[in-house]
Amino acid sequence: MFRFLMIAALGAGIAQATPVARSLVRIEATSQEPDYKAPWNPGEVSGGVGAGFIIGGNRIMTNAHVVSNAKFLTVSKEGNPKPRPARVLFIAHDCDLALLTVDESGFFKGTTPLELGGIPAIESVVSVYGYPIGGSRLSVTQGIVSRIDFQTYTHSGMDSHLTVQIDAAINPGNSGGPVMQGGKVVGVAFQGYSGDVAQNVGYMIPTPVIRRFLKDVEDGHYDRYVDLALSYQTLFNPAARAALGLKDDDLGVLVGSVYGGGSSDGIVRPGDVLTAIDGLPISGDATIPMDDDSVPLAEVVERKFKGDEVSLDVVRDGKPAKLKIPLSDPWPFNLHSNVYDEDPRFVVFGGLIFQPVDQNFMTAHEPEDLRLRYMFDFFIEDKIYKDHPEIVVLSGILADPVNAYANDFRHAIVDEINGTKIKRLADVAAEFAKPADYYVIKMAGAGRPVVLERKAVEEARQRILSRYAVTREQNL
Amino acid sequence: MSARALVLFAAICLPAMGGVTPQPKTDKEGATSNSSVLRVNSTNQAYDFFRPWTKKAPFSRRGLGTLIEGGRILVTAELVANNTFIELEKAATAEKSSATVERVDYECNLAVLRPTDPAFIAGMKPMALDDGVRIGDRATVLQLEPNGEIAQTLGTVTSIAVGAYPLDNMGLLLFRLSAPMQQRDGSFTLPAVRDGKLLGLLMRYDARSQTADLISSPVIGHFLAEAGKGNYGGFARAGLAFSATRDPQLRRYIGLNEPGGVYVTDVLTGGPGEKAGLLKGDVILAVDGKAIDQDGNYEDKEFGRIAFSHITNTLSRPGDTLVFRVFREGKTLEIPVKMEPRDRSKIVSESYVVDRVPRYVVLGGVVFMELSRPYLQEWGGDWLKEAPQRLVFYDAFQNELPQDRGKIVFISQILPSQDTIGYEGLDNLVVSKVNGREIRSLDDLAEAVRHPVNGFQKIEIEEDPGVLFLDAAAIEANRDKLVKKYALPALQRL
Repeated sequence: MFRFLMIAALGAGIAQATPVARSLVRIEATSQEPDYKAPWNPGEVSGGVGAGFIIGGNRIMTNAHVVSNAKFLTVSKEGNPKPRPARVLFIAHDCDLALLTVDESGFFKGTTPLELGGIPAIESVVSVYGYPIGGSRLSVTQGIVSRIDFQTYTHSGMDSHLTVQIDAAINPGNSGGPVMQGGKVVGVAFQGYSGDVAQNVGYMIPTPVIRRFLKDVEDGHYDRYVDLALSYQTLFNPAARAALGLKDDDLGVLVGSVYGGGSSDGIVRPGDVLTAIDGLPISGDATIPMDDDSVPLAEVVERKFKGDEVSLDVVRDGKPAKLKIPLSDPWPFNLHSNVYDEDPRFVVFGGLIFQPVDQNFMTAHEPEDLRLRYMFDFFIEDKIYKDHPEIVVLSGILADPVNAYANDFRHAIVDEINGTKIKRLADVAAEFAKPADYYVIKMAGAGRPVVLERKAVEEARQRILSRYAVTREQNL
Repeated sequence: MSARALVLFAAICLPAMGGVTPQPKTDKEGATSNSSVLRVNSTNQAYDFFRPWTKKAPFSRRGLGTLIEGGRILVTAELVANNTFIELEKAATAEKSSATVERVDYECNLAVLRPTDPAFIAGMKPMALDDGVRIGDRATVLQLEPNGEIAQTLGTVTSIAVGAYPLDNMGLLLFRLSAPMQQRDGSFTLPAVRDGKLLGLLMRYDARSQTADLISSPVIGHFLAEAGKGNYGGFARAGLAFSATRDPQLRRYIGLNEPGGVYVTDVLTGGPGEKAGLLKGDVILAVDGKAIDQDGNYEDKEFGRIAFSHITNTLSRPGDTLVFRVFREGKTLEIPVKMEPRDRSKIVSESYVVDRVPRYVVLGGVVFMELSRPYLQEWGGDWLKEAPQRLVFYDAFQNELPQDRGKIVFISQILPSQDTIGYEGLDNLVVSKVNGREIRSLDDLAEAVRHPVNGFQKIEIEEDPGVLFLDAAAIEANRDKLVKKYALPALQRL
């Protein structure tokens, strides 16, 4: 079936397919998923296949999720199946893009770098190149552009950016492959739905996102996206418009929350009405006119970089005002992003395992504990980060006589150790490093303290490490 | 207070067990019981918390009531919760008459009914309480055959312990009976008897383990004694949470050399323990002269080792003073605690709302309610995960809220109308202020909306979207249309 498709594609448009074949690579990644339940373990090894394409400067563009957590990478050119070791130059988990290179000399000889195009028009035809479901030969599918909108990028699970929906099939192995139109790259295939959710719905990362990534790394470092770090609501209600002193022109959105530590903190206030961003008028449905289209107002910030400014026209207390916002990282939102290429952080003491809570921890442990779920879910909204920049939790117990009575405290949040407030995992390690007869651990909420005697912890230490094969006592 | 988990199975779901050995039709229990038990059919209708102005479809529960002194009939409170009509039926003759609830207490899950026609029970014999039950004793659970015959299942009392009662999770004494019961209609309340005396009422049955939890005779005795007074006091509780002190490292750290004691982990604001000066971190060594062990049990002269909450909740009466001997910072103190029942008006999120209308206010299509657990339970068995999480957390951590927080008033839904354009789909948002006034109850809200600012109702919300405005004059003008369109019987019920 795949062969048939490929032949058909070659027959139909050989002039278009040939240069792509000379730029396409097949990427094989051997990766290791960290083990958040036994965080000292190196984790399970697995393999995967994806696609990539050569762009200028001896670089290969692919998806971040193709090469995340990779321990070893090889790429092979279409028509030359010998795998060559590759390495990651830059990886951007928040927009699911990565750049690789191959050090072996001569690898890029005879290849044709692909050029980036613009945003394809709705209903125009695009071709998708890749290695769906793992085959070793190029596969091409064709479809039309169905929709252009913001979508959540499932790799990080939290970021959303401009996305182009196409009706060509996108399957595992297509990831990282180029989507072509008129001989130029108009997107990188990256996600879709399984057939039982929606049919013929595939997504590609459009070139504004790709170009932003390439520009961000020009200084040799990837800085991430920046964010206004505020929430807003549409303003369609006539009473709300009148109460806020707005004209009946359907322009403007109402600021609901401004998140502490974010770009707008201290500049924008809840209750402000945003009427324009960088001079572009904001409609009541939170869109702005841009590139002959109507796009979410966030698109202005999407195209900016750390340290850039954005200007906002607001109506505050019925009066117009202009605000300038220097843009920075979206902390503390990152807590809810999937984490890659980092070893889990932890401290083991007296057989008790302490870990900071993040999305990976929640996915691995699926805790039932209500307080933990509350602090994680409402970390931003309820400003939990002020007292707990990291939520440190007693994540597991390596059963031993020293901790025989600590079982009820699994997934409890550490509030204090020996009277010191615990704000980060490093505070836990620091308190346990201080000499004391007793280590008294107070958990958040009502409950008795967990008490460990130093003598008992010392006696138990080697016994626990060897019995449970703990190779490392902490990773801060 | 006791964290012990109990398998909860409503007694109504006794599963069919085909081919069960036939029970003997009569014996000594049947003969005496027939003149003391009545079938009770209760038609109940609960409010729909998603549409608090409406009632759900009525349903009926059937059980066996026990005639007690004073011409009254004892049943579980769950049997008659939200009742609209209660019918008594004589087992043998199927004669029927009605009854009303004279006293009900959902904390202990008991109710006494009064027949409308006192003559209906003429000739029947009241049953006395059996207060001499011990582990290992045999008891008979009574059920009714369709033909009116009494069916009996003999079981053994396998444990006597304090456990959670339904609806309010209060820790009270339970008898656990091991008995192979059959599926029968009308098993919502069943008496368990011995030698013609009532030792408990069955309130849940686990068919797999064939164990029944009985409301125990001491709890029934307490309830009846209180119900007999002009001023019903109910069940007192100390308002404390505690944990075991088995961990020797903890005992050494706090310098506790006594053999027993439990560590106080929480003191309910405004409860008897707090009023008496008990503190978090105190170790309770004895209550009313009874030594408390490391798990919180004492040696009861009748029932053996059971949780000391039996002393505070059942043996003591509201108004009694119990002396707590506590260990605090190396010293032993005697602290008298005046026992009181829970002041339910101070509860932030009620664990049950029965026999009354859920409070609500509708303002221009915006529906306001006060948070209660029955609202969250409308999301079904997995409500802890399925219900709106912020409200779940408010319910779960209500004891940690500031003392003057009052009720949690929230927008439960928007009934789309001309006045709420743009607000469709907003739901389950906690309200902080209306027209600049703090909202700590629906009464506050009803008062605040009488004072619009510049012609607008300004509703401030704790989370996004932060604030909603409604046109006060337009709401008034559209009032009748809204009432008609959504068939609201009233725009508010307080």
